Amino acid sequence: MILVSAGRRLLWQEWDGHYLVFQPSSAETHVFNETTALILRCLEEGPLSIAEARAWTEVALDAAPGELGADEFDFATRRLEELGLIEYRDETIASQ
Amino acid sequence: MIIGDLSRQECQEILAGKGLGIQFGPFNLRIRSNLKSFAAVAYQLYEPYPLLTAAVISDFHVDMNSPPGLRRWLRPQACFAIDGHSPFAPYNLEHAFPALEWGINWCVATRAHHLLMLHSAVVERNGQAILFPAWPGHGKSTLCTALVHSGWRLLSDEFGLVRPEDGMLLPLPRLISLKNDSIDVIRHFRPEAIIGPSFQATRKGTVAHVRPPVDSIQRAQEPARPRCFVFPRWIAGAPFILEAMPKSQAFLMVATNAFNYEVLDEISFRLVIDMVNSCDCYSLRYSNLDEAMAGLDELSRSFDA
Repeated sequence: MILVSAGRRLLWQEWDGHYLVFQPSSAETHVFNETTALILRCLEEGPLSIAEARAWTEVALDAAPGELGADEFDFATRRLEELGLIEYRDETIASQ
Repeated sequence: MIIGDLSRQECQEILAGKGLGIQFGPFNLRIRSNLKSFAAVAYQLYEPYPLLTAAVISDFHVDMNSPPGLRRWLRPQACFAIDGHSPFAPYNLEHAFPALEWGINWCVATRAHHLLMLHSAVVERNGQAILFPAWPGHGKSTLCTALVHSGWRLLSDEFGLVRPEDGMLLPLPRLISLKNDSIDVIRHFRPEAIIGPSFQATRKGTVAHVRPPVDSIQRAQEPARPRCFVFPRWIAGAPFILEAMPKSQAFLMVATNAFNYEVLDEISFRLVIDMVNSCDCYSLRYSNLDEAMAGLDELSRSFDA
């Protein structure tokens, strides 16, 4: 299973540790915390496996490996999926 | 020409005939009414506004007339219409004037989507504008009225009109609608303010309209640059507190309180981001207008510094 960015180009603004994201495909403005924003940021660069995305986020958060809880990561990615910002895809299908 | 160049009789005849053309900032209106009581108030309060000739194209054609039939005699009513359509239920005849003012606001809020419309009062001094976005009941109009009678220029009591091309604020110096206790507060604070009659028991309680200072009306084509957001809240007995607000919070309050943020799509996001980035943002709590005036004067001087 891999994670991919679902959106077109997103617009970003960061203030005070809060991330505002404008999603052109829905014309919605979202507010994310740092963890959720970093997951979205890394997937904008390209598809990653769940493990890779989590490791990338931990590095970006300056957290130790395994420090970002699986529950927190899963909650954030599910929320991003609900908003239509990322998609879960089967790795073999995605590579075709 | 201004409305005051007409006699009261001429004003009434034009209202009842082809319609009175008035310029409110970026909008041209043509108002028609066959109600004599309405004409008297309109003449008093619209007196310094630019009068448009019949040849000028109007953005909105609005009517405030008695509905036809027996109603005219039994329980007289007044009906607001735009382009021949009546979007609201008829009003009590005595409330025709506030109903027209609300109707004009409705026209702007639902149709002027070439501009970003923030729900905000806006005042200006020395070329720097302060926006006061607020929810109803937070003291926005009272504070705005006090400021424009204390050396500030009124851009608008209700609409922060942002021009997408350059982010400048366009003036819309219409009458300021005061409600309930605010009316007496302003009568005591600035006895010289020109305030129209009080309309009792309207759909919004007691309402009276303040005519903006003539300078604000004469400078209605002069945009201003946004310099500061102040989110006011009147709280009985509260001390004056003006404190910095996080920009992320300011953004959310401005965006969620705008009339057409969703309509303008990405343009709104960029405009509000640019405004919040370039403006200082504060929350204000106050109960005493003199303290609020002094505090905002000091804030204004800090802009210059």
